Amino acid sequence: MTITHHPPEDLLADFAAGRLEEAHKLVVEVHVANCRRCARFVQAIEQLAGAALENVEPVPIAPDAFDRVMSRIDEAPKRVATPPLASSTDDDVPPALRKYRIGRRRRVAPGLSLRPIELSGPGKARAFLLRSAPGSRMLEHTHTGTELTLVLEGSFSHEGGRFGPGDFDYGDDEIDHRPIVGDEGPCLCLVAMTGDLRMNGLLGRLISPFVRL
Amino acid sequence: MPRGGARPLTIASKRLKAKVDWADLIGSVASEGDREAFERLFEHFAPRVKGLMLKAGCSFDEAEEIAQNTMIAVWRKAHQFDPATAGAPAWIFTIARNLRIDLFRRKARAERLDTAADPPDAPDQTETADILISRGQDAARITSAIQQLSPEQSRVVVLSFIEERPHPEIASALGIPLGTVKSRIRLAMNRLRDILDEEA
Repeated sequence: MTITHHPPEDLLADFAAGRLEEAHKLVVEVHVANCRRCARFVQAIEQLAGAALENVEPVPIAPDAFDRVMSRIDEAPKRVATPPLASSTDDDVPPALRKYRIGRRRRVAPGLSLRPIELSGPGKARAFLLRSAPGSRMLEHTHTGTELTLVLEGSFSHEGGRFGPGDFDYGDDEIDHRPIVGDEGPCLCLVAMTGDLRMNGLLGRLISPFVRL
Repeated sequence: MPRGGARPLTIASKRLKAKVDWADLIGSVASEGDREAFERLFEHFAPRVKGLMLKAGCSFDEAEEIAQNTMIAVWRKAHQFDPATAGAPAWIFTIARNLRIDLFRRKARAERLDTAADPPDAPDQTETADILISRGQDAARITSAIQQLSPEQSRVVVLSFIEERPHPEIASALGIPLGTVKSRIRLAMNRLRDILDEEA
């Protein structure tokens, strides 16, 4: 896949440092897994973090810590409950998402459906898979927070350019989106969103109660 | 312009050649379950992980827990460490980082559901990504890119993203105006991206 739209560098650095909330982390993680350029950037930040670890002032560890660690190592590793996997018939779901529980598909408008991703971490952003029909013009909308979008299949275009598989789109509340989905097939996106999606226009007002997850 | 506190960062792999080869010690843990090697790793890294987690805003107990769990993970995952892809300190950092994410996730879940926390050794949620991005042939290029950053640029990136200090605090620590902190971070990011792209 040819990726032309990447996350901003500070988002990649926050990802490398483990500072992103879960929904945002998920979207960046799936991009980075498919984008060698961004993977290199993330690794560079991890290298800097390693150097920082070497240089940091050590803080004494609890006196019995080593013995406790060794006795936990000597215990048989605990069987960890396997996280619920998305069913294998879910061709929607990229590998990085298979450790999450993903809700049933809900139709939110003609040609537009979404599946919520159940997150357990702290943070206010929601994540969902959004599928829209080829050629559809998505509803004109603005949002009150930020929106991170990663294209998994198909494409869409808006004033910022064309976004195909692997491309990352960053929207904040200053952008008025009106993407048009490419004709080649349905467009499947992974979306992390904070704040509310505000639909402009009558149809938007009618469906917006459903779009608020 | 005053530059107080701009201590140059040393790239660990370079400095450590003369000292201990952490990668060899991790190798001994992986191949023979070498407890002496592990104890040396523990003595060096556990207090540093604790120190870094405290700097990054964890409580004392959280930092202690993450440091101990990191060392348990170093033992259990030693066979996954590939010295060709990442230096030992960067690898240990990623383990601690993931454990911190897991800790905060468990706490949030426990608060939400008011149930008992997960088992202490939760699966490493971001392991797949770490494996995917560990591509050996990029390692030399990445090391060389970092070395091309100025010490001031490395320092400001570490303070902002790794030690998670607020920008005004960075400004006073380095004795530079707040606006300079922001522009220096931006320049460092762009420069890192440009160097990595150039060498591609």
